[in-house]
Amino acid sequence: MHSPIHVLYADHHGWLLGWLRRRLGCPHGAADVAHDTFVRILASRDALLGLREPRAYLTTTAQHLLIDRARRQALERAYLAELAALADSHLGLAPSPEETLAALQALEQISAALDGLPPRPARAFLLHFLDGEPQGAIAATLGVSTRMVRKYLVQALLHCHAATGGNA
Amino acid sequence: MKAAAPDDALAAEAAQWLVHLRDDETQGNAAALARTRAAFTAWKAADPRHAEAAQRMEALLERVQGLRGQAGGNARPAQAALSAALSTGQQRRRIARAGAVLALAFALAVPVAVTLRAWPPAYLMADLRTHAGEWQDHQLADGTRIALRGGSAVNLRYDAARRTLELVQGDILVDVAKDAARPFVVQTAHGRIRALGTRFVVERQPDATVLSMLESTTEVQPAAGGAPLRVHAGERLRFTAAQADAATPLDASTTEGAWRRHQLVVHDQPLPEVLDALARQRPGHLQYDRAALEGIRVSAVLPLDDTGRALQLLVDSFPQLRVRMLTRYFVMVDTAPQP
Repeated sequence: MHSPIHVLYADHHGWLLGWLRRRLGCPHGAADVAHDTFVRILASRDALLGLREPRAYLTTTAQHLLIDRARRQALERAYLAELAALADSHLGLAPSPEETLAALQALEQISAALDGLPPRPARAFLLHFLDGEPQGAIAATLGVSTRMVRKYLVQALLHCHAATGGNA
Repeated sequence: MKAAAPDDALAAEAAQWLVHLRDDETQGNAAALARTRAAFTAWKAADPRHAEAAQRMEALLERVQGLRGQAGGNARPAQAALSAALSTGQQRRRIARAGAVLALAFALAVPVAVTLRAWPPAYLMADLRTHAGEWQDHQLADGTRIALRGGSAVNLRYDAARRTLELVQGDILVDVAKDAARPFVVQTAHGRIRALGTRFVVERQPDATVLSMLESTTEVQPAAGGAPLRVHAGERLRFTAAQADAATPLDASTTEGAWRRHQLVVHDQPLPEVLDALARQRPGHLQYDRAALEGIRVSAVLPLDDTGRALQLLVDSFPQLRVRMLTRYFVMVDTAPQP
């Protein structure tokens, strides 16, 4: 007796790997993502019953993983590059690996919470809550009214509220 | 108009409070801030559902504030990281709608300013340069051959009186064509190496330059001045801008064979120097504390085309060493805490 995930794996793993290889151009990365795709599907296996388009389902799951990966890479690269630039200009500023790891994990959570927010509310959120710019200054930067900035900020907070709801 | 669900309405009210609080904070009005804070506390105390509605947003904002404590109180790294991550997301959505390839999103995501910091202008503008893990061979107009290891950059200046090669970063193997009228000079921040016709390897480390002689002789002049030093085949010399260490013996054929086979041969060198060389071959970031690892001395032959295996070999030989891979692009090396 074979479980649905076994059947799915046996029938489509090779095909998914080829699909990912064409997209990534990197055999190791493709194997990692293919593996993670099945792990993720395994974690929510109810969805497998009566699956009509297994390949569409597989590629959708794999696409989500690719997106997470690209976002995480962009985030890490930008953070570490800026940190290195700061360390060069301010001697003695050298966060420990643990501090850097903690910051990266916090950044990952924040960027996941903000993911999907339109650019202006996201920009207003970071300028206000991270950089500490007053709402009036943000209004001038974005070319909108202060009232609109408040609306963006509330929108951003509610977006985070909804995004963090699942794993609370 | 549809009435919002009660939970949504409470969350919206909580969000209004948090925006109001932060507004007072950024304006630096202590009295107003104290009043708003007291009123918000009272609102949360009035009904447990109020506090619950605010909870996740407050936790997230606390995390955002916590980032300001990082990097010496400077929010720029966090700001750059989140902007890069968000623009990846935004580009990705547009591209996904157009049905195009996702891999592009990443290529476009990192802003130019960030790129310039990760790969400094001196590297980007160099005449010849290699990416992490890339190897290149070049033959110059005078017949001189240069091989570049990954993450290297050189500038070339040839004129009637001399041939100058500036090593901006990385490792090179130079096979100098003879030209008695025009000496060949390798220049780094730490000094210059002068040759007539010979083969040698130059490695540019953060605070020193290391010369490995394969054939014949060169003259080394540290930047601070002093009498030039002659270095002969089979010798290795490390020099800083201020001074040169004593030359140590070197097996020329092993060193040259290692270049051909893309290996790193190290003989009794401090671990941070070895990690520097591996980091240049590896895309992404390899993080380590130089001071903490300085005491570990390494003799090894490591594969440069497979830095993951090279790190594993180091861990196998030094059990106190710990390699943690957060992702393929962020690896930390340190020593495990003693039990």
